[in-house]
Amino acid sequence: MTRAWGKTLLMVALVLAAAGAAVFATTRGLRTVSADGARRLDLARAPRELPALVLLDQAGARHAFGGAAADKGGAPLTLVTFVYTQCTAVCRTSASGQAWLQQQLRERRLQDSVRLLTLSFDPVHDQPAVLRAYARTLRADPALWTFATVADPARLRSLLDAFGIVVLPDGLGGYSHNAALFLVDGHGRLAAAYDVERPDLALADVLRSRL
Amino acid sequence: MKALARGWLPCLPGVLLALAALFRPWLEVTMARHMGLELPLLALLGWWAARCAGRRLTDWLAPWNAAGLPGLLAAWCIASYWMLPVALDEATLAAPAGMAKVAGMVLAGLLARASWQAAGPVLQGFFVINGVWMMLTAGLLYQEADAQLCSTYLIDEQLVAGRALVLWALALLAVWLFAIASRLAVDPEPAA
Repeated sequence: MTRAWGKTLLMVALVLAAAGAAVFATTRGLRTVSADGARRLDLARAPRELPALVLLDQAGARHAFGGAAADKGGAPLTLVTFVYTQCTAVCRTSASGQAWLQQQLRERRLQDSVRLLTLSFDPVHDQPAVLRAYARTLRADPALWTFATVADPARLRSLLDAFGIVVLPDGLGGYSHNAALFLVDGHGRLAAAYDVERPDLALADVLRSRL
Repeated sequence: MKALARGWLPCLPGVLLALAALFRPWLEVTMARHMGLELPLLALLGWWAARCAGRRLTDWLAPWNAAGLPGLLAAWCIASYWMLPVALDEATLAAPAGMAKVAGMVLAGLLARASWQAAGPVLQGFFVINGVWMMLTAGLLYQEADAQLCSTYLIDEQLVAGRALVLWALALLAVWLFAIASRLAVDPEPAA
């Protein structure tokens, strides 16, 4: 009996250790239970390389994005959000957050060191002309705020995967997606993610990095 | 006939598990089905498999499983782990996590059944009440959360998934209470 209990207590300890380790790793040290929270904490620990892509902007110009080509050292920081222009829900929050950031960046004369980028995940519909009209409704300053989508729709998947964006049909003819505001650093790496309703936290990080 | 029944019945849990694999896309398209249907189903298949294995399994585990304590604890930990939204999300997005989930939930059911008799009423009650309490809490938190917890499931699906968890918790409590009541009806003071 005592021998069985010795082995049993060993098993109990093993179970507790395994369960504790699994929960600790999955919740990033008991700090989050949500997928977006886990992504935020992962990025805060280690910036992520982005895949090399070509973007098509609202003026019809092509830009290299991500990959080694984007590493220009002192390049401006970029605050990125994802939308599709026919969206009426969470994209509106993302867009108004960007609009607020545009105003803040101008007031602080940071337009040369920080840029805004709104990426559409509907490259088939959101052609340059559509993006241009969308930018106008948000009173976006083209010098500071770029609207773009992937030049090659086949590359959309790798863009969304790199940012951890999951797009789901919402059953009403539109899409639903997890929104976030991302910070891409001067090396073209994904350095931070913020709640889409907290552009103020993103601004605080940007200001801190410029000091 | 009886020999035949003995031959194929123990294979049923495995056959059903293989069938469930075919339905995986359907089972995981909404959060309610994933959490409220697939996870309990996997655990029940594990439970059933342990029933089929009978004494052979319990005897094999016995030297390491006095009073069924490690077995029930492991089952409780595994079930709790897969109630974490971030874990569920990982299981839908990454194949290794998905496989760990299936293996884990089947194992949880299997260990729970294999440890059940040895545990006796006190330990059984402890784990049932803790499990019910945890599922109720998780279910209520899912319904209350005002942020999208999984990247693969929408925020309104959390409400349905939360309700499903609460229903499972109440069902588990009801079955356990009924089992106790029916034992007490036969023998007012059941031996431990």
